[in-house]
Amino acid sequence: MATSADTLTFLRSVRLFRNVDDTDLVTFAGSLRESPLRRGQVLFREGDHGDEMFLVRAGSIVISKAVTGRVEQVLARMGPGDFFGEMALFDRSPRSATIQADTDVTLLVLDRGSLARLTEDSPRAAAAFFQSLVHVFIERLRASGDLVAEVTRWGLEATGLDVESR
Amino acid sequence: MSDPVSAPRRAKLELLVRKDDSGDGFEVREIGSAVAFIRSRPQRVPASSFELAEVASRVDGQRSFILKNTATDRFLLITEPERFLWEQMDGARSLQEIATAYVIRYGEFDFDIIPQLIRKLQRAQLLTLTTTSRLRQALARNRRRPMAKMAESALTVLERINVSSRNVQPVFRRAYRFGGFLLFTPAGVVLCAMLAIVGLAAGLKLWPDAERVVSGFGKSPLMAILSVKLLFLVTVAAHQVVHGLALVHYGRRVREFGFTFLHGFVPTFYIDVTDIFMGSRRARVVTAVSGAVVHLVLGSLWFLVALRATPGSFLQAFAAASGMIQWQAFVVALYPFCFIEMDGYHVLVDVLGIPTLKQDAMHYVSALLRGAAARRFTRQEALYVGYVFVSAVSVAAFIAFNVWLVVHAS
Repeated sequence: MATSADTLTFLRSVRLFRNVDDTDLVTFAGSLRESPLRRGQVLFREGDHGDEMFLVRAGSIVISKAVTGRVEQVLARMGPGDFFGEMALFDRSPRSATIQADTDVTLLVLDRGSLARLTEDSPRAAAAFFQSLVHVFIERLRASGDLVAEVTRWGLEATGLDVESR
Repeated sequence: MSDPVSAPRRAKLELLVRKDDSGDGFEVREIGSAVAFIRSRPQRVPASSFELAEVASRVDGQRSFILKNTATDRFLLITEPERFLWEQMDGARSLQEIATAYVIRYGEFDFDIIPQLIRKLQRAQLLTLTTTSRLRQALARNRRRPMAKMAESALTVLERINVSSRNVQPVFRRAYRFGGFLLFTPAGVVLCAMLAIVGLAAGLKLWPDAERVVSGFGKSPLMAILSVKLLFLVTVAAHQVVHGLALVHYGRRVREFGFTFLHGFVPTFYIDVTDIFMGSRRARVVTAVSGAVVHLVLGSLWFLVALRATPGSFLQAFAAASGMIQWQAFVVALYPFCFIEMDGYHVLVDVLGIPTLKQDAMHYVSALLRGAAARRFTRQEALYVGYVFVSAVSVAAFIAFNVWLVVHAS
């Protein structure tokens, strides 16, 4: 089990908290709880309900989306410092993808209630946190567009479809 | 100095495959588009939708061929190696297997020839890489259900069943020499016509006693009719054999003869008669009609058997039902107005000179019903409307007649 000092050191290296000062970071660290995940274990499945976001402290996870039967498309892999599940903090829709551990993983968990308290107690830190979050959202949105284009390219190459001449 | 522009890397997809539905285990597989491409199974359009002819002039001693899409009237000039590849694209062989066959045949391999040919064929709408039927797609979606999984496995096994030979020309030549030629002599034609008349007379004589005739089936008429249908399947082979004999009669080549399960569940015999496209119109018409004549002759013989059998016996009922089915097959095969592109349809479009009659007619009438087509009736539009109308009425009448027969038999 990591100490609070270790957690604080880790959070300082995380992009999401780079604009949060040390005092507020201590508050953040206090709101996080640690959760282990063994290799191959599913954290949650697409369609599940939840109100937590997760920060990968150690190990790596795979994010996937159902395609057919037992086959899912890998959307992304995440390692230390990356986060996921943040959509559940803002809406109550079911999880949009399935998360499973690619290796033994340690996660830090932030739930909706803790975030609400942080926002109330330390609005400046919350604003910095949300600003970083928006930047990551934008990056992910762009990556989604790239993924769609890549999947389309895959389909065209796999079928040999000659679209240009049609 | 900048690097020359290199080809973009082939796309890859990462797919996660679970070990079972409920457990946590999984493995991630990276599938390159190139792998999917070489495992795809290109399927050329059905034999009835294209014509292949060798070009008379030869350049540098190379043979060339014209491939025509009879549905779109588009032509392609292909080389001899491309024709070889075209013949391999039957929906059963993967591109990898086709490439291997090419190497074995020509002792070399040009890595661009297959993708280039595929692009050409796709542009001419002569090829599809989608080999999965809607039924298969539905079964795949419901694979978690045991019944769907079993059905999918059964279809996979059945689809692999294809008993065929491409070296049948000598067999057909022998069959033609040892009696098959008689079918194409005036005496043979007269004999068939006489049998048809006698069979018709027998059928008409049996008709008033139809109830007593079918009573021979006893308490399980549906099972009996199913066995009649099963026997009918065997005669489909005879139908195809006579098509082959007609090819030999006109000096053409039977490319393939075999048995397969169409769409995975319809057992059928088939014959590749595409070589007759290079023959005269008379040759095409005779080849198309001759197969169907088998049903006329067999139907007549069955009616004669029924007439001679003990009234009300099982044999009489069986023979009468077989005769009826054979004659129905004769009509269906030759009657062009039933939305099915069978022998009679091919004769009709050949005579009319409209190879895409059904497709054009359906398209026009559909547009007409939606109000998207102009209501001006030239000869062609009248032909389209007439085809769809007569076909719709014919199909309805055919279904009604069969329902009446089954109800009557029950």
